[in-house]
Amino acid sequence: MAHYKAQGTRRVWLPAAVFGLFALAICGRLVQLQVFEHGNYAKQAEQELLGDDVIYARRGSILDRNGGVLATSVDTWDVYVNPRAWKDDAVALKASQDLAPFLKADPLEIRATVREAGQADARVMHDLSYDKGIELIKKGIPGVVTLANTSRVNPEGDVGASIVGFTGTDNTGRAGIEGAYNEALQGTAGRAVYERDTTGDPIPYGQHRTIEPKPGEDLVLTIDRYLQQLAEQRLAAAIKEHRAKGGSIIVMDPATGEILALATSPSLKFSTLQDDLSRNDPDALAILRNRAVTDLYEPGSVMKIVTAAAAIDAGVVGPDTTYVDTGEVYIENVRLTNWDYSTYGLQSMTGVLENSINTGAVFMQQKLGTKLFQSYLDRFGFGKATGVDLQGEATGIFRRPQDDGYSPVDVATQSFGQSISVTPIQLMQAVAAAINGGNLITPHLVKAHIKADGTRTDVAPQIVSRAISPQTSDTIRMMLGKVVGQDPDGWGRNPSKYTAGGKSGTANVPVWGSYNDETQIASFIGFAPLDDPRILVLVKLDQNADLMTGTQAAGPIFAHFADDALRYLSVKPEKTDAAVSR
Amino acid sequence: MAAINHPLGQRRHGIPIPASGGGRVGFGLAGAIILAAVGALAPVLSNSLATSRGFDLQASEAQETQLNGQISVLESDVASLTSLQRIERRAREIGLQPIDDPIYVTVSEPGPAPAKLPAEYLPRATASQPAPAPWWKPFVDWLP
Repeated sequence: MAHYKAQGTRRVWLPAAVFGLFALAICGRLVQLQVFEHGNYAKQAEQELLGDDVIYARRGSILDRNGGVLATSVDTWDVYVNPRAWKDDAVALKASQDLAPFLKADPLEIRATVREAGQADARVMHDLSYDKGIELIKKGIPGVVTLANTSRVNPEGDVGASIVGFTGTDNTGRAGIEGAYNEALQGTAGRAVYERDTTGDPIPYGQHRTIEPKPGEDLVLTIDRYLQQLAEQRLAAAIKEHRAKGGSIIVMDPATGEILALATSPSLKFSTLQDDLSRNDPDALAILRNRAVTDLYEPGSVMKIVTAAAAIDAGVVGPDTTYVDTGEVYIENVRLTNWDYSTYGLQSMTGVLENSINTGAVFMQQKLGTKLFQSYLDRFGFGKATGVDLQGEATGIFRRPQDDGYSPVDVATQSFGQSISVTPIQLMQAVAAAINGGNLITPHLVKAHIKADGTRTDVAPQIVSRAISPQTSDTIRMMLGKVVGQDPDGWGRNPSKYTAGGKSGTANVPVWGSYNDETQIASFIGFAPLDDPRILVLVKLDQNADLMTGTQAAGPIFAHFADDALRYLSVKPEKTDAAVSR
Repeated sequence: MAAINHPLGQRRHGIPIPASGGGRVGFGLAGAIILAAVGALAPVLSNSLATSRGFDLQASEAQETQLNGQISVLESDVASLTSLQRIERRAREIGLQPIDDPIYVTVSEPGPAPAKLPAEYLPRATASQPAPAPWWKPFVDWLP
């Protein structure tokens, strides 16, 4: 059998070459796609095939010291409408009418919102309640999409709002504890990666990887919601009574630095927050700052507590050391007088505090000398932030010899609370050190962290340094007890049921470098019981139009508050004869 | 077309079937067919089962999400019900009044048991069911 070998002709080779080249090109392209660009295309395919969702972590709750809830999160729904599904007017009409009762809105408005959104999904409701959202999902209205969200609720209403703060629409803390502890509260978001079908739903038993979200921590505050409410009520009443522009009542445990209540006015309120934020008014936005830590003022005669503590601790005077008050003292030819322009004659250091004598404070400062006196101001924490766990804390200022424009008059007036600016919280820290045995302690608002698994970590009180000796502290406490004891009947500035100590301050507000008698800050800082203080209370009224002094305006508020707060804290009354033993 | 050279074209052989023992062959064949059918159906059934379980799983996950949502709503409700304003309102509703001047009594004996919750907040009492009789009890009763 003869075999013929095919002869290569152009008719054979040409198509063969064309097909060969074509095959080569295909092979080359395959190599390019599958070898060289494999990673890129694999990634694209994965993106096409895989769904990727962020799983938001549950934001932790904020509790008061007894477990009362001040802020917590609830699941809600954001409701969107897909405009393409509402292209048909009849469908849109029916769907909007079905949707309207859930949103409590007019169907016409809903359709207008969807039309305005153009091609994008239109958000027609933010934070629909969880139960309503479930009902809406079950109803299956065409084009309506619900996305899970969370909303912050504050069961106590406006109580403690300026401390708690608020979150933005992205669930990030913007002010107060919500802002300062955002990281701890927010937790860590998780992630779900899954294979999805053409409708975007996960394919059962498809590839599914989940990184579980880590829920945020619950925070237990040092705040007591009852005392906070009491402080806010008393402050509001006092502002009204004395026609003040604002004020603060701060309550602290002087031994631990735990802040039990912190009321300021004006301040943030949840009930008016939306309106306040929507107004583009700087005064309205000023409520976002917590004035107890951000605003500076001259403390006035309250500062004499620190001056006396420094002088006694340094051993330059004792409580019974005497001097003669002539009603005035000259520093570099500048005349400094007493607050009431009176002359008190022979006075002890206790008398200086009892009568709030400015020349007596200057006497103690001069005994100390500028350097030692200002070193005590440093020891008491003035001129630097306390470290309280709220945002935007001011450091305070006092002029030192090395500063431009310094005059010896500055240090003399610092002794009775002028030429020195402090925050209310800074003053609380300093006076707490003066009466708690001498420890400068960091004021704080968070008592404990509770993780999602229930593990509780308590925040230990942080002692910064020792300001004065325990003996000096005892002496100062007794001297301040005598100040309050000048009001034997109680409620002038003396609680009727408990022993107490304290000091008033009435400071004129400096306006463009001089003092104006028409604008003042009246304050009283006091503590009770005298021997073992459980609470330290600062009452401060800003620019009270009735021009009553700190003793007259703020003293009675302290006295009433101390009685009520200590009764609430189950402290046995010391002065009443109503206690019955059996 | 006739020029196509078919290598098996000259003789066709059927499947060799042994002449004897035809019944055994029939069973073997049937067994093989059943095995093949089961083999073919098994992945289908397995896939069907997997899909069904997958939907069950999705439903369970949705239920879990829903229950978590309800828990958060209930927690929020509890928080609202224990708020100061609500407690004060409820106290006034049941006739309690704020006191001006409490009397403190110091006693040397242990205090009373903690106050019980008002009945309305307690779980509804259920009638106690008698314990079921053991399974062998009727037999014992039946004995003379």
